[in-house]
Order: sequence, then structure tokens, then C-alpha cells
Amino acid sequence: MSDTTVFRAKKIITMDPDMPVATHVAVRDGRILAVGGADCADQWGGASHDDGLSGTVLMPGLVEGHAHMMAGAMWRYAYAGYHDRIDPDGVLWKGLADIDGVVAGLKEYGKRLGPDDPLVAWGFDPIFLPTERLNRNHLDEIDRDRPIAVMYSNFHLMCVNSKALELAGYSRETEVVGVAKGPDGEPVGELREMAAMFPVMRRLGIDFRGLSQTEPAIRSYGKVAVRAGVTTATDLFATIEDGDVETLLRVTGEDDYPLRLVPVLGAIGGSPEEIAAKALRLGERGTEKLRLGAVKLMTDGSIQGWTARVKWPGYVGGQPNGIWNTPPDMIHQLVEAMHRNGVQLHIHTNGDEASEVSMNAIEAALRKHPWSGHRHVLQHAQMMGRDQFRRAAELGIAVNLFANHIWYFGDQHAALTIGVDRARRMDAARSALDEGVVLAIHSDAPVTPMAPLFTAWCAVNRRTMSGRVLGENQRITVEEALHAITLGAARTLKMDGEIGSVSVGKRADFAILGEDPTAVDPSRLKDVPVLGTVMDGRVFRA
Amino acid sequence: MTGVSADASAKLPMTVVAGYLGAGKTTLINRLLAEDHGLRLLVMVNDFGAINIDADLLESRDEDTLTLTNGCACCTMGADLFMAMGDALDRRPRPDHLVIEASGVADPKRIADAGIAESEMTYGGIVTVVDGVEFPRLAEDGLIGPQVRAQAAQADLLHVSKVDPTPDALLALLAEISGASVLDSGAGDPLSPLLFAIPANPRRSAVAAVHPDYVSYSYEGPVAMTRGEIGSLIARRPQGLFRAKGRIAEEGGASWEVQVVGTQVSITRGPAIAVTRFVGIGLASNVTRGEIEDWWKAALPVPHPA
Ligand SMILES: [Zn+2]
Repeated sequence: MSDTTVFRAKKIITMDPDMPVATHVAVRDGRILAVGGADCADQWGGASHDDGLSGTVLMPGLVEGHAHMMAGAMWRYAYAGYHDRIDPDGVLWKGLADIDGVVAGLKEYGKRLGPDDPLVAWGFDPIFLPTERLNRNHLDEIDRDRPIAVMYSNFHLMCVNSKALELAGYSRETEVVGVAKGPDGEPVGELREMAAMFPVMRRLGIDFRGLSQTEPAIRSYGKVAVRAGVTTATDLFATIEDGDVETLLRVTGEDDYPLRLVPVLGAIGGSPEEIAAKALRLGERGTEKLRLGAVKLMTDGSIQGWTARVKWPGYVGGQPNGIWNTPPDMIHQLVEAMHRNGVQLHIHTNGDEASEVSMNAIEAALRKHPWSGHRHVLQHAQMMGRDQFRRAAELGIAVNLFANHIWYFGDQHAALTIGVDRARRMDAARSALDEGVVLAIHSDAPVTPMAPLFTAWCAVNRRTMSGRVLGENQRITVEEALHAITLGAARTLKMDGEIGSVSVGKRADFAILGEDPTAVDPSRLKDVPVLGTVMDGRVFRA
Repeated sequence: MTGVSADASAKLPMTVVAGYLGAGKTTLINRLLAEDHGLRLLVMVNDFGAINIDADLLESRDEDTLTLTNGCACCTMGADLFMAMGDALDRRPRPDHLVIEASGVADPKRIADAGIAESEMTYGGIVTVVDGVEFPRLAEDGLIGPQVRAQAAQADLLHVSKVDPTPDALLALLAEISGASVLDSGAGDPLSPLLFAIPANPRRSAVAAVHPDYVSYSYEGPVAMTRGEIGSLIARRPQGLFRAKGRIAEEGGASWEVQVVGTQVSITRGPAIAVTRFVGIGLASNVTRGEIEDWWKAALPVPHPA
């Protein structure tokens, strides 16, 4: 007979209404055998007892339904953002609150580099530093001999030092859109958009493709997850070649790899039919810890970049409507091909017009090919109104809302992008639940840090950085938010039969917490300590 | 850091082929791959779906590259276009010309600007393929209209597909949106001399003689000019001169590399040369060979004594 272990906890929040709380959970073969008190495994022939978690609170392993693997490997570069962040190894990087801070922080970081290494930083966000713009003189203070590039958090801009300008051949002679110049005619160091950034990236060896699917990237993503209490996470727009599958299988297959990884294939590089065929092929290679077979489709851009496709009345500043990254005709073709082949879709839609076009496409596909369990997911879906949620419910569409935006960008949305009326009902978790839509909420890491308890806090409190409550009527309860980061997210991945609650038969995946998230004041939900995870019954300490 | 070649003579020109879904971008690319231009083209496409290469022209094929017997290659660009551009630059031997098929909604200028920014590349222009049948409807479409119009507005050359000749109403609409020259769908066979500014070569079919759609003038001689003289010469070029390129000697042994595509001009330092070479090409509907020749000759300073 197999070994059985009974874990004891201060409290187990199961998310299973048949036994909402417990103190013990029995695990056999990596699965949940029984839930209840100390004797819960007795009728199964007894068990050994593990009291190592007895001082902690357990929840189902948290599920991050929208993040990217580069959230781990980005940390090969220095972090230069405004907010505090913790890297995969647990090191706290203090937020850099002004330009002097950026200079001092990167100077310190530079001491750790070899003499020939470029200094590359990421996450810088001038939106929070309303002083002078970062320029090359600031970066020259850090180092004149070593090329330096500071990537902005939106990845559309960077600032570089004189050495990097020189390597790229940028000078006062340069006539390139995107190479910003000062009153003296010299480049100031700011480079806008990829065409202008590319020559620097090439010479500094910055290649984002190496931040996913490589062994180090897969491993550091696992570490990020453990610190967030996450046992299942997506990589939502993956490029997956045959060799990548081998690497993914090998690393995730190790007993001490702590994550159920869900790479979702990006819909590019082939005809709709070829992409569907590839997804089906990949789906067959999945394992317990590597889930393949779904497809991610891009539609519009971002709201804070004014590139999301929004319905009337558009942007408050009168900016033109955003752009389609996939034209509506192609959205229809892709949706139909995936749907017909039984491939689940995750569709990026920020603006409400993009959500509408995507739902039109799904409805058209459904009329041709009925499929009641498709559970296609609108990802971000930040501007959906109640009418759209009703329609999503009718069509069997799930949503994964970008709740973290409320805190990070809510003030900007109210003042500068879509105006206060629609900002109050952004990421409308209340509407989604009221209308009966399957709901998940997400971080989009590395855009914001992976931390589902923080994401839940955003949906519960709807506080912005300035402290205002943005849309009090869209707040959801703590229980609802915890559901959204466990079973709700599991449903969007069609994995709710295996994960998402502490229920007999499911995988023994838990988040280990230092406090009871249902007992703390809801305003402190984000501060509940994450001590690690349990995956298939194996403990991983953060 | 990557090893970046400093050899200026190996600069890689890049042409972007833009246009909405179904406009005919791949038809154009199939033509360019098959034409007898003697260049080792590297063509980067979003997918191979519509690329059809004659079996006798195809040397090998794998997951993401088609290799042709004429020295050309066609590959998919993957998720990151700019990183793929870097790979193209790192190829040895470096291709003679890079052609990028932009996605149906891409902003072609954002891609083509890399040809200006990257010192190892040159700007080869934006060719926007315009669907001769659908364009007027698409340009007014509430969802996609602005992006379709922008692709035409940013073009250096508009290539109209599916109708021949281009109807006057479409010409008028395009003129409203874009200053670019319009090439009829039936025109320009081969297209490569116009797009890649290949000088008329006696061993190849002489462009001007055989193809009445465009005209070319080329010069080879001892003339030398300063940077300033070249600048003012180019500024006075005939309106219909679409493409020009050359390496112009400067007294003292240096040279200047000149590239003109539509309105885009670049003049950069080149290695020492003995002989100046220059070629100018335009659409026959916009300019004559004589006009190009007169402009070039009138502007020539006194030849540098040998
Ligand atoms: Zn994302």
C-alpha cells in the first residue's frame, strides 16, 4: 500500500462547500485522500503525520491564470522600478523613488558586474517620477565606460548612456525618429520604440527570446511562483518549438520542480488551421505538470498606451481609437478555426470594443459549431460593462480580469485615459459575478508582480495608489476574491477537476500562509505572509 | 556582447512589404523570390502558408527556412521581428537585401525605421500593396480603416493588386492619402530593379529598354563631390525619381554612400573608392530617363582630374 501523510495545519480553507474548513489533510500519491480532523485518514489504513505546517494556514494552491514566464528571467537584469519588488531568490529590491535613487541603485548594482558586462535595467516608470526626464547624463554618472540601458516598464522606451549611444553610432548626425535630441542637437539618451532601441539592444545582447523556454527561465519562474503561493501558472503567449517541449517536459517533470506550468501557444507564425493543428499536437504531449493545448490570441493594445480599442465615447484626451494587433477579420478566422478544432482560446482584449469583436467572433463560431463546454476566456477584459458580462454568460465565455490595474494605474485611467465613469467600473469583478460569469483575476507578471493575494486585495478594496476607492460598487468579498484566485482561475484553465480546492481526489497543491486571509481585516489581505507551497504533497518553502 | 561586424560595405538594405490581409503581399514576395535579379535575398514572412516556390528553385526546406537554389532564402520571423532582424544581420555571408513582410495590421514605418537607425542597415523603402478591389471599402471601415489608410500613407511605393489599370477613382483616393508613386498591378515585370535599385546591367536585361513601366539611368565615372554638394544635388532631384543609390567619391580618397527611397534620403561615409557609381530609377509615368540624366549631369561639378 502507498504511503499516506496527514498534514496538520492551524486551519485549512478548502474552497469546497462540503467542508469549508478543516485542520488536517491526508495525501497519498500526490493527491488528496481525505480532509477533516486528525483521524481523517484512519479508514484508509492510517498514515504518518507531518506537523511541520501545524502553525500555518493552508489554502488550495493559488492559480495565476495570466502571467508570463519572463517574470522569472527578467531578474537577470537590474530592477529599476518605482515599487518595491522581491526577486525569485527572495531578495527585496527597494523601489527607486526618484532619479537620484535610480543612479545610486544602479551604481551599486554595477559593482557586481564583470568589466565587460553591459548594465541593463528594467521596470523604470516615469509616470511615477514627475520630475526631470531621465537622460544620458544621469546614466553617465553611473559609468562612462560600460554601456547602460534602462528599459521602461512599458517596453516602448529606454534610456541609455553615452557609451551605449556611441556603440549604436548615434550622434548629432543621426536623423532617426525615436532618437530624442536636446536643444544642443545631441541625443539625450532617450530612445523611443523598437526601431530606435534595436541597435542598442543588439549590441548589448538584450534578447527577450532567451527569457522564456530556457532551462534557467523555467526554473526561476518556478521560484517566483513558490514565493507567491502559486502552484499553477500560465505562460500566456508562448512560442513553443519542438525542442522547447523537450526542455519543458524535462524540467517540469523533476520532482522538485514546484509548478504546474500552463504554456499557452501564441497565435502567430501560421495559418489558423496550422495553429490549431499545432495546439492539438502539443496538447497530446501534456503531463500532470505541463499543460499544453490552449491558444492565446492578441486583439488590441493597452489602455494606458491609448492603443486599446474602446467604444464610444473613446479616450478623454481625444486620442484616436487604438490599434488592432490582429485585424477583426483575422480574429474571426482564428476563433473559428480554434473553436472548430476544439481548442480553447485565451483572448487578450483590453478595450470594450475588442471584447465585443471577440464575442461576436465566438458567437459566430458557436452558431456553426455548437460547443457548450468551450470556456474561451477573455483576458484583461478591463472595460467590459454589465451588458457584455451578460452576453459572456450567455455564450459560456469566462473572464480573467486585470484587477491589479486598479491599484497601479487606476488614478491614471480616471484622469487621463477613459475617464472616471468607466474607470469606476474597470475590471468589474462584481458585475461579472452578478451576471454569472466564471471569474479569475490576474497580475500579468512581469507587468505587475505575481502575488494573487495582492490581486485579490485589489478586487476586494479597489484602492488606487493615491488611496481613493475607485468604484466601490464593483468590490467583491474576500471569499469571492479567494475563489477567483483558486477555483475560478482553475476553471478558466479547465483544470478545476484537478486543482483549485482542497477536495478528495484533487492534486495535493496548497499555498502555505502565515495568517488566515478570511480573518484579517480585508484591507490587510495583501499583507498575509506567503510561506511557500505544497505541490503533489511535497513542501516548498519560500 | 554579440560580435557586430564593422564592415560598412556589408550594409544590409531592408525593404518592408506592407498591406492589409489578402491585399497580395505574398504574391509580390513570390515574384521577388523567383525573379532573376542575382541578389541573395532574405525574405522574412509571418508564415509560409502562401509562399510557393517552384520545385526546381527550391533547394531545401525545414521548419522555419526555405532555401532556394538562386541564393535566396525565406524564413519565418517568429514572435519577435526585431530579434529576427538581428539574426539576419548576423548571418554569414550576410544577405544582399532583406525583405520583410509586415503583418496585415503592422505599422510599416515602425519596422522600416530600423533600417535608418541601425548603422549596419540601410532603408530600402516601404512598398504597400493596395487591394485594388477592396481598398476603398477598407479605408472607410470603422474598425480597421485608420490602420489601412496609415499603411498607404507611409508607403514609398504603392503597388495596386487585382485591377489593371488602376481605376481613376482609386488613384484619386490614394493621392488623397499618400504622396507615394503608384505602380499598376500589371506593371513592373521584373519588379526587383525598381525595388532594389539594381543598375541596368548589359549582361542582364536592361531595365529601361525592356520594361516601359520604369526608367533607369546609371553613371560610372571619375566625378568627385563634397558632402554639401551631394546634399544639394539630391535636394534638387526630379520629383519622379523613386529610387537612387550610389557611392560617390570625394577628393582625398573618401566616399559618400547615397540612398534615396521615395522621400527618404541618407548620405553616409563610405570607404575610399576610385570610381563614382550612381543609379537612379523612377516610374515611367512620373519621370523620363532624360530628366534623370539631365539633372545628374547639370549638377556635376567639374570632374576631378584623374
Ligand atoms: Zn499578458
